[in-house]
Amino acid sequence: MAQTVLEFCQVVKRFGSVSAVDQVSFSIQSGEIFTLLGPSGCGKTTTLRLVAGLEEPDAGEILIGGKAVAAPERGLCLPPEKRQLGMVFQSYAIWPHLTVFENIAFPLRVRRESAGVIRQRVHHALEVVGLGGLADRGATELSGGQQQRVALARALVYEPAILLLDEPLSNLDAKLREQMRVEIRALQRKLGLTVLYVTHDQAEAMTLSDRIAVVNRGRFEQIGNPEEVYEKPATPFVAEFLGRTVSIEGKVAKNHANCWIEFRQGAGRSALSSVAGEALADGATVRVITRPEDIEILDAGGLAPNQLVAKIEQVAYLGDRFEYHVQTGGASFVVSAPKKQRYAAGDIVRLALDPARLNIRPL
Amino acid sequence: MKSPAITLSSPVIRFRLRPIRIAELSFLVFLIAAMGTPLLFLLTGSFNLAAPGKPAVYGFDNWFRAFTDPGTLSALWMSFLLSVVRLIPAMILSVMFAWLIARTDMPGGKWIESACWIAYFVPDFPLVLAWILLLDPNFGFLNTLAKSLPFIDRAIFNPYSFWGIVWVHTSTGGIWFKVMLLVPVFRRLGASLEEAARVAGANTTTMLWRITLPVLAPMILAVSVLSFIRGLQSFNTELLLGTPADIYVYSTKIYDFLHREPRAYGEATALGSVFLFVLAILLFFYWRCLSGNKKFTVVTGQGYSTLRVKLGKWRYVAFTGCLFYVGVMMLLPVTFLIIGSFMRRYGFFNITSPFTLNHWHNMLADPIFLVALKNSLIIASVTAIGGILLYSALAYLLVSKRTVTAPLLESLCWIPHVLPGILLSLGVLWLFLATPLRFFLYGTVWGIAFALILADSPVTTQAFKAGLLQLGSDLEESARVSGASWAYTYRRILLPLLAPIAAAVGLMNFGSALTSISTPVLLYSHQSRPLAILLLEYSFTGELERAAALGLLITLIIGAMMLIARKLGLQLSGSD
Repeated sequence: MAQTVLEFCQVVKRFGSVSAVDQVSFSIQSGEIFTLLGPSGCGKTTTLRLVAGLEEPDAGEILIGGKAVAAPERGLCLPPEKRQLGMVFQSYAIWPHLTVFENIAFPLRVRRESAGVIRQRVHHALEVVGLGGLADRGATELSGGQQQRVALARALVYEPAILLLDEPLSNLDAKLREQMRVEIRALQRKLGLTVLYVTHDQAEAMTLSDRIAVVNRGRFEQIGNPEEVYEKPATPFVAEFLGRTVSIEGKVAKNHANCWIEFRQGAGRSALSSVAGEALADGATVRVITRPEDIEILDAGGLAPNQLVAKIEQVAYLGDRFEYHVQTGGASFVVSAPKKQRYAAGDIVRLALDPARLNIRPL
Repeated sequence: MKSPAITLSSPVIRFRLRPIRIAELSFLVFLIAAMGTPLLFLLTGSFNLAAPGKPAVYGFDNWFRAFTDPGTLSALWMSFLLSVVRLIPAMILSVMFAWLIARTDMPGGKWIESACWIAYFVPDFPLVLAWILLLDPNFGFLNTLAKSLPFIDRAIFNPYSFWGIVWVHTSTGGIWFKVMLLVPVFRRLGASLEEAARVAGANTTTMLWRITLPVLAPMILAVSVLSFIRGLQSFNTELLLGTPADIYVYSTKIYDFLHREPRAYGEATALGSVFLFVLAILLFFYWRCLSGNKKFTVVTGQGYSTLRVKLGKWRYVAFTGCLFYVGVMMLLPVTFLIIGSFMRRYGFFNITSPFTLNHWHNMLADPIFLVALKNSLIIASVTAIGGILLYSALAYLLVSKRTVTAPLLESLCWIPHVLPGILLSLGVLWLFLATPLRFFLYGTVWGIAFALILADSPVTTQAFKAGLLQLGSDLEESARVSGASWAYTYRRILLPLLAPIAAAVGLMNFGSALTSISTPVLLYSHQSRPLAILLLEYSFTGELERAAALGLLITLIIGAMMLIARKLGLQLSGSD
């Protein structure tokens, strides 16, 4: 059913001595939204431009629909106009000297469609993005959100093999961004589009994507669906980038049957499954990483496994909840708690970790 | 099964890189040939004792002769002196003008700014003529007026003198261009800097002396150095006013060498290459002062200033002062140019029916004038269109990041910016005479247009570059991804978007081609004589009334051109 639409094999792109894209391999199946997520300058936009043919790779191979479009070893690099793609630029790149209609008609005129077909398809595209009736407007008379829709309509009008979206929502205000996010998703489902999406906004990536590739310094740190990359980050970078993390240092302790981690200053201990314990030596220093929302605050009392003694250092009232700066086992971090739980600075509490959501990393 | 398809398609596909490489290479070859060879000829020609086109004989005789001529060193010194002396009042006045226009509540600031803009485009040669009409010791109107006063029985003004040249320069190149450069600088000065000074308790004067001027000092210095270098290139005023008084600058000296019989090519070239050397040193310091100065970053500060200094009752004094300056320096000479063109004999107001249309009639019926008009129109059109085609493509190459030799291309296209017209002309003359190009280009309108196109390269290329950078690459790239080839994209997207710039730049170049004297002066022949050279000949032969008419005609053509260009330019900035 799912066909491979785009494939990267060991693709390298250098700017001077810097590798903007460093030996990247991945593939996109038809009908999915594949997101490149990473900080600015990580190479995600360069990857997109390599797909579009706006940059030439230095090594590797890029295939669209099973056909090579760029393979520098063979001197092959198909120009952008031969690749049958649609692209929405961050700046929208609406041509200011053309009307809305002519902007959207451009890809069809290039393909020498008849006037009737052009009229019909442009109007259809305008309906799809919700801009019916604006065809004769000058391109510069549009608001940011409308320009964004025109850019989308222009990219969709000839049913491209892949739709490339380069941070398309970053120039919109917060409310409009949320609305467009939902609309793009709905549109993609309705038309069965294959989308390669570039963003630095993790919320956008989480809600839109079927799969996410987290990019850092030209390398793909992890590819997976939103849940996988959030819950089981493969690298510290992925964990950091996708939300707040808590990390507490501890020491591995073993006896013949069990394996656990002793946190510093006698703050508590955490049981390890035997599988996880196998890989760790007795006495090794490790870092336990989890997310603050997976930590529950409990009143002081006897410590069960996976519970730590902590001291409240600071309290912040955020209206809908409290944020507590806590200190435990030599680490300090912020944990939220519902309004009904009230503690004051200086109080001693227990922190309950969720054993299913702990990542252990040897130091 | 896959491999034959690949071998078939790869030669076609590699094509993407090739056109840009070919274009880059051909530009490189063209620019090196067109800009580099004249320069090379200029440097080697001074050691060549034979006339251009004859077999070369090398030696130092030219240098010896040039520098035993007592006039040579004094001409270089005079160039320097004139440029410095007239820079000082011009800088003080233009900083004052710019400050009044940009930072105070002086009424009519916009008008004064527009007046400076218009004045800048009034060609200088007609203005020099107008000042002759006003100041000549025998018939100058102001001298006649002065003589009618008691106790004054002889002419008190003399334009054919050092101070005459300085004065006329203040009217022609003078302050107009500097005001146009400085007003945006003053406007852009971050409001917070001045506001902070105010909050700290400074009054207007203290703020001006302690904050505004020191912050802008590097920019003002840069404008001064640039004006100084451009001042060294001056030719027209010195030719018309200096020659009768035996005051030579290096450019008129070169002209003089080449108008002797026999033409002293070698001496002229030796003098030219000495000047190139001086210029290179000056430019080195100019670039050092521009690049080594971090204070510049402050000037392009955040936020435009809304804070304007309140001048109180002085605002009207300031406005009247500005108006008076524009009146004396621009309106007065232009008025006398008009009067002069209609007078039977200039200066004789008391004869019966002193006014006549004869000079206009005679000029317009003169076959020499008609040929010159035709030549000028051909030269200016070819220059304008050629410049647009050539330099829009060059700018595209420079902006596109795929060019490997961009820095080299860029510096080649900057050469004419600092090369004085007369030296460019001399270099091109050598190029024509010493190569087979003499059969096609020497003494023809095409040769003159060629030199003028070269002279336009820096400004035109920069204008297109700025336009392309402002458009950004997205508009072009999105067309490519939409499926359009480069040629289609150029035709449907880039060209329409660049059209206003092309039109504005084209009109400017048309105008400067029409008025340029120093560039065609060594290259024209009787068949290819343009209007500006005809104007020069009229003034040399003393036909001042006819010269006034022709000067006025050229000014009118330029005026119309510039108004259209400004309209287009404004439309462009309005659409962003």
